[in-house]
Amino acid sequence: MKLFKFILLYLFLISSVQADTIYQLIKIPNLEIYNIKTTNSLRYLYAKQPFTIGADNNINCFRPSKQDLDQKYEIIEKNLKRYSQSFLKKINLKYIVLCEDLSISGINTAGIPDNVMKTLIVDIKFDNKYFERVLHHEVFHIINDSFKEIFNEKTWSSFNSDSFNYAKCSTCTKKIGLDTYSKTDGFITEYSKSTASEDMAEVFSHLMHGNLPKQIDPILQKKIDFIKSGLLKIDQSFNL
Amino acid sequence: MIQKIKASKSEKIIFFFLISLAIFSLSSFFLIKNKCLFVKNYNPEKLSFDKPNNIAILNVECGNVIIELYPNISPNAVERFKTLVRSKAYDDVAFHRVIKDSLVQAGDLEFGKKGNIDYGKIGTGQSGLGTINSEIDVPFNYERGSVGLARTQKYNTEDSQFFITLKDEPLYESEYTPIGKVIYGIEALEKIKYLNKSEYVLRPDFINSIKMLID
Repeated sequence: MKLFKFILLYLFLISSVQADTIYQLIKIPNLEIYNIKTTNSLRYLYAKQPFTIGADNNINCFRPSKQDLDQKYEIIEKNLKRYSQSFLKKINLKYIVLCEDLSISGINTAGIPDNVMKTLIVDIKFDNKYFERVLHHEVFHIINDSFKEIFNEKTWSSFNSDSFNYAKCSTCTKKIGLDTYSKTDGFITEYSKSTASEDMAEVFSHLMHGNLPKQIDPILQKKIDFIKSGLLKIDQSFNL
Repeated sequence: MIQKIKASKSEKIIFFFLISLAIFSLSSFFLIKNKCLFVKNYNPEKLSFDKPNNIAILNVECGNVIIELYPNISPNAVERFKTLVRSKAYDDVAFHRVIKDSLVQAGDLEFGKKGNIDYGKIGTGQSGLGTINSEIDVPFNYERGSVGLARTQKYNTEDSQFFITLKDEPLYESEYTPIGKVIYGIEALEKIKYLNKSEYVLRPDFINSIKMLID
């Protein structure tokens, strides 16, 4: 046992501090560059080892397989290259972290946006049925966090009927369905009913993904117009 | 009467061997102690430059590091650097953050001056000239020897601290304001003191001086 401790101590003492440039920049350990030569200067990184972050170490994600990574990267890049470099700069998004089985406080999630660190963590194993649309959903959270005054939640909530109230948070409700309603009543999915922010993200993601319902009720139309005008306030050239 | 004893051949060989060993040991001791022994010292007077107005000479323990500044890429940052160089503000300032084979950082004028180092605050000091905006829009290849201005986690907080990369750092592009590149003498920076367990250096090496080639 003593010998084991001695060897451990020896290894600790001889190991030198390593430069972890990515950690210095976005405070997520165990990442490596996947691709940084992209048309809109987004930098794609991946988890070479599992990582744990967050104030209470409550965010976890794991290393994806090379095959999954290569396959999903194509889809992610295809979707995210629709955002121009200047738009991404305005909303403060630069790094896309690819990993699998992403969870926050034990709850699986498709992505974790952080506009302060300019980072979006993406679970590449998230349900394929919604995967592409959800990418835009998460991007909207970055947009929203960067432009809270444009996407005012009170204004947004006023579009709903007086009797409707959102939940206090997106995880304190069982309304988590992501299927697009064929007949809308102010909401585009069940998850839209969770919080104003999630509602906006759902509308935005459907706009970007191009799968809006055929029949749109007046409330939902107001919401769509609100999102569109907000985006144009950020970037006149934004193209939905 | 003392009888003369003649040394045998093998005794002579051993004696010669011991003398050689002593000379070798002594010379090795002095050679190893001199960390700058194999570092070439560049004399800027003997070199020619396309833009001599933009050449800065950083003198450290192991010699001169010759930096070409790029005012066309980051005019405000280069101007700030030149202002501080001309006022000799960088002289005797510590390389307080050094990562072996990766990066050296210096320029804390408030807490990093020789004789007045504050290890508790080093890296947070200011120049007194205020912060300047980041200049990161022009493409810049952060290869080995690139010189950039350091900042806090936020943009537009550049001041006097600068770093020089000892390896390629492609992720630094559009993150840190570049001010130039080392064109001669980067080997001298590889000899700057570092610690194995910390990026921040206790009893660090210092900048002897930084001068513009043409004042």
